[in-house]
Parts: sequence; C-alpha cells; structure tokens
Amino acid sequence: MWRDASTWAAEALAVFAKEWRCEFRTRYALNTLALFAFTTLVVVSVSLGPIGVSLSQGTAVLPVLLWVILLFSAAAGLPRAFVQEEETQTAIALRLAATPSALFCGKLLYCLTLTAALELLVTPVYLAMTNLNVKSPGLLVAVLAAGGYGLAAGSTLVAAIIAQARSKGTLFSVLAFPVLLPLILIAVELTRGAVAGDPGGVALPQLLLYDAVVTIAGLMLFPAVWNP
Amino acid sequence: MLQLRFENVRRRFGRLTVLTGVSGGVGPGEMLAITGPNGSGKSTLMRCLAGLLAPDAGTIEYQEEDQPLDAASRRRRVGVVAPDLAFYSEMTVGENLDFFARLRRTSPERGLAVLDRLQLPLDRMAGALSSGMRQRLRWGWALLHAPRLLLLDEPFQNFDAPGERIARELLAEHLAAGGAAVVANPSPLEFGNVAGRLDLGR
Repeated sequence: MWRDASTWAAEALAVFAKEWRCEFRTRYALNTLALFAFTTLVVVSVSLGPIGVSLSQGTAVLPVLLWVILLFSAAAGLPRAFVQEEETQTAIALRLAATPSALFCGKLLYCLTLTAALELLVTPVYLAMTNLNVKSPGLLVAVLAAGGYGLAAGSTLVAAIIAQARSKGTLFSVLAFPVLLPLILIAVELTRGAVAGDPGGVALPQLLLYDAVVTIAGLMLFPAVWNP
Repeated sequence: MLQLRFENVRRRFGRLTVLTGVSGGVGPGEMLAITGPNGSGKSTLMRCLAGLLAPDAGTIEYQEEDQPLDAASRRRRVGVVAPDLAFYSEMTVGENLDFFARLRRTSPERGLAVLDRLQLPLDRMAGALSSGMRQRLRWGWALLHAPRLLLLDEPFQNFDAPGERIARELLAEHLAAGGAAVVANPSPLEFGNVAGRLDLGR
C-alpha cells in the first residue's frame, strides 16, 4: 500500500514539476497574473489609497478589493492548467499515461503555488499602498492561506470541466461564479475581521470546510470529467 | 494470454454515424490491419479501442494474462501511435520521455533505447522537431512501458525510408515477442503476421 502511495505521489510531483518547468520556459501564466495584478493594484491603490478613502470606509471596502484583485488575477491565469493541454493536444498522451487523481493533485499543487506567489506579490504591496492597518496579521495570513487554497482548488476543478468545451472563457466565468462565490464571501468577511481585529469566529472553520469539500469533490469528479 | 475482441462497435458524432457495427479481434503475435479512406472511421475505432472514446453500442473486451481489463486500465496499458498525439513543445525529447516514464511508473530506458535506434536526439526541443522526427518520438513514447498491445494509427506517416524500416523492425520484434498490434492505414500495408484485415471503406 505504501509503495502504491509513494508511486502515486511521485506521479503527482512529476506533473507539478512538469507544469513549473513549462511555465518557467514560457512564463505565460506568470506574466498574465503579474500584469493583471499589477494593473488592478495600481488602479485600486491610486483611486482608493490613503487620500481617496476614509478610515471607516477603508476597513469596509479595501478587504473586498483585495479579494477582487486576487480572484480576477487568478481567473486570468489558472484556467490554463487544463485548457493548454487540450489546445496543444498533449491531453491525449496525458489521458493514456497518467492516473487521473495524481494528475488532478499535480495540477492543483501547481495552481496552489501560483496562487501563493500571487498573494505574496499582491498583499504586502496592496496593504502598503492603501495604508491599510491590519490588527490581526495572524488571522490575515490564515485567511490568505485557506482562501488561496480554495481559489486554487476551485479554479483547478472548473478548469478541468471547461477544458474540452468550445467557449472556454465564457464557461469558466459561468461555472466559477457559483463555485468560488461562497469562498470569496467568507474570505472577505474574515479579512475585514483581521483588519478590525475581530476573531474569525465560525468563518475560518467554514473556509477550511469549503477547502475540504472542493478538494474531495475535485478528486471524485475529475476522473469522470477527464475521461470519456 | 493476450486477447482483444470487439463486436458490433457503433459510434456517432451528432447526426453523423462514423462506425456502423464493426467487429474484429487480435491475439498474441498477431496483427489486425484496418484500412479505409479518409473519414471512414479508422481513427475513431482506434480511439475506442484505446479507451479514449466510449462506443455508443457494442462491446470491447481486452485481457492480458487472462485478466479482463476495463477501459480505464486498457487506456494505461496499450501503446498508441496516432497523428494527433502531441508532446510538450517547451521540453526536450529526453525530458518528455522522462516525464511520461514517471507517469507510467517505469524506467525511461526502453523509450531511450527505441529513440536511439530511431536516431532521435534527446536534447532537441520537442517543439522544434520536424513531422518525421515527431513520429519517431511517438514510437519511442508508445513503446516506453513495454505494452502488450500496440494501437498504431497511420504508423509510418512522415517517415523517411530509414525511419520506416526501423519502425517496421520494431513492430516485427513486438509481434515476435508475443505482442499484438492493430494497425490503421488508408492503404493496405505490406506486412507479415497479418491475422486479419478489416476494410472500413464505404
């Protein structure tokens, strides 16, 4: 059993390593994410920075905009995880060679690291440029970690579903909305709490539960979505 | 014992019926040759046999060592050469082979040996390969995990004379070792060990 688990993990890691190797050579997702994040970051920071918004308004509005930036930046790059496999016809070789669950986890791990890099890039700059004072930085880190995982897992699952469709861009938006909306609502509420210094309450367990549900749903649905 | 049998396989795409009840089979050391003009359903049948496409009706039964394998297991066991099979253009030939060897849970040695025979440089980027070289890489990829059943869709296309000669040798060795093959080609192939011929011409 352990041998099976280790070969399964080696398969997932091979997919993860392949994704980053290709990404470092093309920099497609990295450039898309960075450009989108930078543009929205500058627009929001300049429009609603310390001068443009009062302290009370800032506490209510700025956490929302942080997650809007993260959501749309992720949506610009993460769907490529599976779409590119179909467009370049490498999906056939993958279907013939990979264990579906290992493939899903390898892709999820790649999307997760991409999202983490995005959060590391965006959040400190955003907080500095909007002069947003976070009273519970520990809670903010926890929200970013759990929210980022949910964003990556939800996007990976939706990307797998839309990969074989014709109108991929439209379909991603339509399917991602109901999947990611609960996550964003909870993450925004928790980020507001972190800014105001309120404890997370039940929202953080809810976010972790969302992550678990999306991961289990992804592992269960993916073989059916991926194979005929 | 290795055995592939398919009975009355039907497949439609919307209103277009591509396969209308096709039957055949192949055993150890045997080759089934499928011929037919463009659009006759050769590639569709090959995709059904590989487990990449589910037939609308009919049965496909495959067993290795008397163990029946379902479509998911069949998909990972067979070796496939097909015109629409592509590899990662951002990676070298060697990196592609190494990646798929990890997914196949096998050593890349066998695939490397095949590519060595086919004289394909491992350090060449897959995206920079000519069509003939891509076909060589498909052969190396298909034989990577020592499959018992080879599904070859237009296996010699884009090959130069030496490439085709080596690929034919590889196929002959595979059959001599007790493997089986289904080969689809628009025109009949001159080859020994042909156990059956299936013409999808309409």
